[in-house]
Amino acid sequence: MKLLLVEDNRTLAADLKQFLTENDFLVETAETFSEAREKIGLYQYDLIILDLGLPDGNGLNLIPIIKERAFECGILIVTARDSVEDKVKGLDLGADDYITKPFHKAELNARVRSLLRRKKFNGGNELSFNEIRVDLYSAQAFVHDKPIALTRKEYDLLLYFLYNRNRVLTKESIAEHLWGDHIDQQDRFDFIYNHIKNLRKKLMNAGGKNYIRAMYGMGYKFTDR
Amino acid sequence: MKVKRRAIKLLTKTTIFYLIFTFLVFFISAIILSKTADRFIESNVEKRFNKYQRRLERHFKANPDLRHLPPTIKIKLIGDSLAKNFKPVIKDTLIYNENIDDYMHYRKKITAINLGNRNYRVEFLARVEDYYNLRDDFLAALIPVFFVLALGVIIFNYFLSGFLFKPFNQILNVMKTYKVGQGTPLPKIDTNTSEFVKMQELFHLMMNQIENDYRHLKEYTENMAHEMQTPLAVIRNKIENLIADERVMSEHSAAVKAIYNEVNHLSRLGNALNLLTRIQNGEFDKAEIIKTKQIIEQHLQSVRELAELKGLKIRSELSAEHQMVIDPYLLDIILKNLLRNALHYGDSAGPIIVKTTADKLSVSNYGAPLKFPREMLFKRFFKQKDNKESLGLGLALVKQICDLNGLKIEYRYHEGQHTFEVFPEEPQKSDAAN
Repeated sequence: MKLLLVEDNRTLAADLKQFLTENDFLVETAETFSEAREKIGLYQYDLIILDLGLPDGNGLNLIPIIKERAFECGILIVTARDSVEDKVKGLDLGADDYITKPFHKAELNARVRSLLRRKKFNGGNELSFNEIRVDLYSAQAFVHDKPIALTRKEYDLLLYFLYNRNRVLTKESIAEHLWGDHIDQQDRFDFIYNHIKNLRKKLMNAGGKNYIRAMYGMGYKFTDR
Repeated sequence: MKVKRRAIKLLTKTTIFYLIFTFLVFFISAIILSKTADRFIESNVEKRFNKYQRRLERHFKANPDLRHLPPTIKIKLIGDSLAKNFKPVIKDTLIYNENIDDYMHYRKKITAINLGNRNYRVEFLARVEDYYNLRDDFLAALIPVFFVLALGVIIFNYFLSGFLFKPFNQILNVMKTYKVGQGTPLPKIDTNTSEFVKMQELFHLMMNQIENDYRHLKEYTENMAHEMQTPLAVIRNKIENLIADERVMSEHSAAVKAIYNEVNHLSRLGNALNLLTRIQNGEFDKAEIIKTKQIIEQHLQSVRELAELKGLKIRSELSAEHQMVIDPYLLDIILKNLLRNALHYGDSAGPIIVKTTADKLSVSNYGAPLKFPREMLFKRFFKQKDNKESLGLGLALVKQICDLNGLKIEYRYHEGQHTFEVFPEEPQKSDAAN
């Protein structure tokens, strides 16, 4: 999978590039509007992560260009928080999804993967991990091919884990992924523990193994290692 | 006891002083007038007495018979010694007049004259009643003239104040209604009264200074909040790398955790401040009429499970009628913050209740009473001591939005229930006509 990361901050770009590379993506970066336009003209990408605030132009104007060159290419726009208009405009122009700054890397990973899946498999596809299988189309999880009843947020949590397997997900990241702005950061996220416990219990009751590991009180990791 | 000084209008003051001055002028002119009249009467009567005397002398030369004289002259023979030491006397007297059945003022001059080598005591009478009446009428006329003038001054000043002080009041009004940081130009009041011109200039100078300071402060906050986001994002990413590293975590998990928490705190602070400035800048101005029921239901849908995880129940009574005139994004922020607040502070004594009626939105939760004065509730950066992670901006944000959108937010605590109510500042116009 080949990604283009359009981000004007070099440190941030390098950091994200490293992260995405570790996640088995082939990543190229562009720092400016013109550089991005050039690369879009020259190469083929599966997905473009597009920061809208570029020094030499509004990233929104790149969207039509991308759509013209490579209609199949997924576009994930990165907007500043509260830029409702940018978000709406971007989606109208043909962006597939958006993520607001600042984001957790795990969140970016989940967005990228889910976007790519939607693009490549037209909605109906599966995600599996050992005995656990998730049908994304019907939003149904299975353990040993037996369906299990999850609440909406439990399902979202399981997906988030599956997209970010073998990676530590901090409680903040989980809380933000599931509840966004509804989460009060002053909560200390103790309720996340209950949430994890419920999901773990449901998976194990259906005969699954316990893959969710607590990590130093900071978060959780979904792993079989 | 302290004497409280009452403020008096400038024009009332000048009017009072003017009236006192006018009164003094009238008083003095009355005195002068009366003196002048007296002198005039004096000289006039004196002339008349002299005329009488000359006529008496002429009469005596022609006819020494002194028996048939006019009633205004009385004559009596006196001795030499008496005549020698006679001092003329002039005095006023009242004489009864049969025709009008009243006493009248006369002036009497008693003197000694020598006619044909004989001495006579002569009494001349002159009527001064008319003079006196004239004089008194003049003086009496001064009083109504004074009152008419005073009344005129008062009325004139009253209308003049409206006219003269119009620019002054307009400037005052500008001062009162002008809001710093709104970006609206200062309206200029047209006047050529030099005091007002000076006042207005000074006011504009002051406002520009304040406006400048305010802008600098705001820009500073904005830049600060904005510029720190990228470094914070980098730091956070790096920490996430560390978190993924088992070796680091096995030794430094406490430190990493602390750094991570603080960085997140800073980042959120920057975001909230950014949002606050953008709200103040009026960037969210796409106000529309929003039927809230569906939107609130969506919000409740997103937090219901979260509430259950915390052992809380949410109950809602939503009116399909309830609507608000506001930018949808701001409504979103209001709802999120009120719900967040309720979710955070709510205890399981009872449900969180979200309710809308035709014109009110209320969110309430059970919990212990506030440990601080309720005025502090909407203050920025105010937080309870035991709650150091809180930003202390959520309710301030809601208040700010309400203030800028003609909404009112009220808090009340009743029987263990904290309630926030949001409603239009002025009652909405009834749509019944449609």
